[in-house]
Amino acid sequence: MTDEDAIIGPRPDHGFAHASEAEFARILDFYQVAWEYEPTVFPILWDLDGNVLESFAPDFYLPDLEIFVELTTLQQRLVRKKNRKVRRLRELYPGLRIKLFYARDFRALMLKYGRAALVSELSGALGQVTSRGETDGPAEPEGRPDDLDRASGPKGDADPIAPDTGAEPGPRHDRRSRAARRRAGRRAAAAAVHAPVT
Amino acid sequence: MNVSPDLVSDVAEVLLTEAQIEAKVAELGQQISADYAGRDLTLVSVLKGSLPFMADLMRRVSLPLRIDLMEVSSYGGTSTESSGLVRILKDLSAPIDGRDVLLVEDIIDTGLTLNYLIRYLKGKNPRSIKVCALLDKPARRLVEIPLDYVGFEIPDAFVVGYGLDFGEVYRNLRFVGVLRPEAYES
Repeated sequence: MTDEDAIIGPRPDHGFAHASEAEFARILDFYQVAWEYEPTVFPILWDLDGNVLESFAPDFYLPDLEIFVELTTLQQRLVRKKNRKVRRLRELYPGLRIKLFYARDFRALMLKYGRAALVSELSGALGQVTSRGETDGPAEPEGRPDDLDRASGPKGDADPIAPDTGAEPGPRHDRRSRAARRRAGRRAAAAAVHAPVT
Repeated sequence: MNVSPDLVSDVAEVLLTEAQIEAKVAELGQQISADYAGRDLTLVSVLKGSLPFMADLMRRVSLPLRIDLMEVSSYGGTSTESSGLVRILKDLSAPIDGRDVLLVEDIIDTGLTLNYLIRYLKGKNPRSIKVCALLDKPARRLVEIPLDYVGFEIPDAFVVGYGLDFGEVYRNLRFVGVLRPEAYES
């Protein structure tokens, strides 16, 4: 895929987890900034055997700007969780640039672009979307189940001492469906929980 | 949108007074005059927000210079249609190849517009491109572009006045102020 392909023209369904992410992608498209959706899963916690216990996949990577962006438009409890993950990410991967967009930032962005009316429908649980045609159980009442969703990590090559350059983005987007990723995440999380700890 | 007749009532706090702005613009003008002495300077203002800043700044630069104006579409624009790409609504009226360009901006927030503009202007082969911004709001910066001249770094608040608008209103305030939430929540 050329850079031009990456930023111009209609995009395939990226299976955004939240309407605010789709809106953010449209803003990036508008300003012709190339982006990748959840291209990299960073392991952030391992058990003593080196199995990944917790991972974090920032929502966007902007390859030309070399920055990851995480949108947090959900409940305060999840914001605290995201803050903790971002702190951990920065500790483990100090060369990585990540910007956390809080609900207030997103709201301000919408205000700036004259789209304040959309804020309520793009924020919080109202903005949550499920992938097309997927019925993977009822919607999570507290937003995206980050730990399960993203615990799978780069299977088999999760390096507990990942170098700074471990932030290399992967493919443009993970082509597995959200449900498939969620199932894989659950399997990985279950395996991690049951892994013998020595 | 519920705008008070005097505009000022919609402002919660004056962030920068007219006098503060005037002093800073004079200071920037002096700096620019020193830095660009003997060079072919073109000031490029990005409509509409930077119009008052441009008008004041150009009169504080004591060098022969050219001015030009550009306008780019903003995301959201006047319609609710969110598809499409940024467009140049008004392009430069004269070539800038070989000239030193100073992009005059009212405020740098995410940096997305500035990033686009710089890429666009580089295609016109200027000798150099630098940026002069009256206000720098780094809280939500996505694109780290070096700002060569900055008037004020401001906190993360919705500001209006001195060219800055909300819904095309408040640009004519002579100061920069924080808009009351009631003004944009109504």
